[in-house]
Amino acid sequence: MPPIRVALAQVAPRLGDLAANLERHTELLEEARAEGSDLVVFPELGLTGYWLQDLNSEVAMRLDDPRLVALAARTRGISAVVSFVEESDDHRLFIAAALLEDGAIRHVHRKLYLPTYGLFDERRFFAAGSVLRATDSRLGVRLGISVCEDWWHLSVANLLALDGAQVLINVSSSPGRDVAVGHREGLGTAASWRSLNRTYAQLTTSYVVFVNRVGVDESFSFWGGSEVVGPSGGSVFQAPLHEDGLFHAVIDPAELRHERIANPLLRDERPEVMLRQLDRIARARAGDTDDEDDR
Amino acid sequence: MSTIDTPADPAPDATGPAFELPAELAIETGVARRLIVDFIRAQLRQAGFERLVLGLSGGIDSALVAYLAAEAIGPEQLLCILMPYRTSSRDSVTDAETVVADLGCPSELVDISPMVDAWFEQPANQDASALRRGNLMARTRMMVLYDRSVTWRGLVIGTGNKTETLIGYTTIFGDSACALAPIADLYKTQVRQLSLAVGVPETIVRKAPSADLWPGQTDESEVGFSYALIDRILFRLIDRRRTIDEVVAEGFERAMVERVDRMVAGAEFKRQMPPIAKVGPRTAGVDYLYPRRRPRASAS
Repeated sequence: MPPIRVALAQVAPRLGDLAANLERHTELLEEARAEGSDLVVFPELGLTGYWLQDLNSEVAMRLDDPRLVALAARTRGISAVVSFVEESDDHRLFIAAALLEDGAIRHVHRKLYLPTYGLFDERRFFAAGSVLRATDSRLGVRLGISVCEDWWHLSVANLLALDGAQVLINVSSSPGRDVAVGHREGLGTAASWRSLNRTYAQLTTSYVVFVNRVGVDESFSFWGGSEVVGPSGGSVFQAPLHEDGLFHAVIDPAELRHERIANPLLRDERPEVMLRQLDRIARARAGDTDDEDDR
Repeated sequence: MSTIDTPADPAPDATGPAFELPAELAIETGVARRLIVDFIRAQLRQAGFERLVLGLSGGIDSALVAYLAAEAIGPEQLLCILMPYRTSSRDSVTDAETVVADLGCPSELVDISPMVDAWFEQPANQDASALRRGNLMARTRMMVLYDRSVTWRGLVIGTGNKTETLIGYTTIFGDSACALAPIADLYKTQVRQLSLAVGVPETIVRKAPSADLWPGQTDESEVGFSYALIDRILFRLIDRRRTIDEVVAEGFERAMVERVDRMVAGAEFKRQMPPIAKVGPRTAGVDYLYPRRRPRASAS
């Protein structure tokens, strides 16, 4: 299988300006196509900006929204991951990331974990998704799409890999903070994310594609630093911090095969053990009986 | 105490270290500078402005903001206004003029004495305390800045730092009034560190911080302890969420920690918009929550 050329669209969305962001997405999609990319990945809420608050309903799109359909129509011969506010039939608002390819919406991931602590207030404004699935793609590899905070919950990368994902894609709007001396790259947030990306790539023997936005919403500066990590945990590509731009990296399915044969961690996973223990733990946490002797 | 730049004593000795920097407060100045410069540019773009107006006192905070603002938008887009009162130190004006000359930005000198004195010459106000006088000076400067922001067509950029914001060493609707606050998440010791990194003249970095409300006044003598110490305590209470007991257990004097904690609690109101009496279905700042600027429906 030939290498997959990935374009990381590390953009600075205009807050609440769907029209401007759609235009920018379209431009970069065409630029990626012209440069021979197979896949272009945009950050979390790249079509709307992040700190929306009560603008959430004003920028929301249903999956049949003509603007989204028109964007999808441009993906003939290229795949794209884009993120926006999705309004469901029952009018819940989700932070969504969609895989667009061959002119259609192929898969939608609704953000599972909505941080509502510290500087975050997502649960006030959005509904949480409840489905996690890897998805096939025209690229010939299975993709596992997640959004920002999803990555701070261990189960997500594991479930996606067990569901067959070979390339884990996380799209983010991560606000940069903590400039204390001593952090790698001078930023605490960047150092934390690098650890996560590397750890997930290594433990799931998958490629990790992380795309984080840049620019400023209100008080928050988003740090960029999008990256691709290989299935052994080694860095394949790192985009600069804070720079707006389209960056390119290559994913090699042969590398994935080598790593998974040499290091068969996924082969040895025990989902049935996890399932039984999770079932017990979930029941105990819900206040049901704890089966101490269930060994 | 561990330090980065050596400093043991913040004495104005031209050969010694410029200031005391506790290790836990040391920042990556390159990253901080990038974040703040980008923040200034983004705030202007979002608001639809290209210019800034700044009250330049001759002290370190407004000097730092001047350098960062000039870097963000170019010195010709930054109007610095020097607003001395007749008792202000002559050095303050000289230091502010040094910044203006170094940056090459437009500037104006506005003597606020007639405006301030007009009020305190009134019989009912003649016995006003130094605090009242200082507050009126700060609010007079605010009026000048906001009036000039109209003719200059620029936003008022704030110069408050994190230390004074937290302990409330600021005049509400005076020096705290601004359209954007680029250094309000930097402690005073971090302001000093960043100032040296961006080229603020060392004489300004070295001199004792002062509100310059009366001759010889310094912040540290007025508050009673050094910024390095206040910052270390604030960093633990606020950023690290430590309790008073935990901070004391680290070796800080209890009376001091409790005093800092009281100052922070007592100034909470200065950091927030005034509470609106909730009467209607949807109330600004309560359950009507929007970004400060947003795309508007076109006028056509």
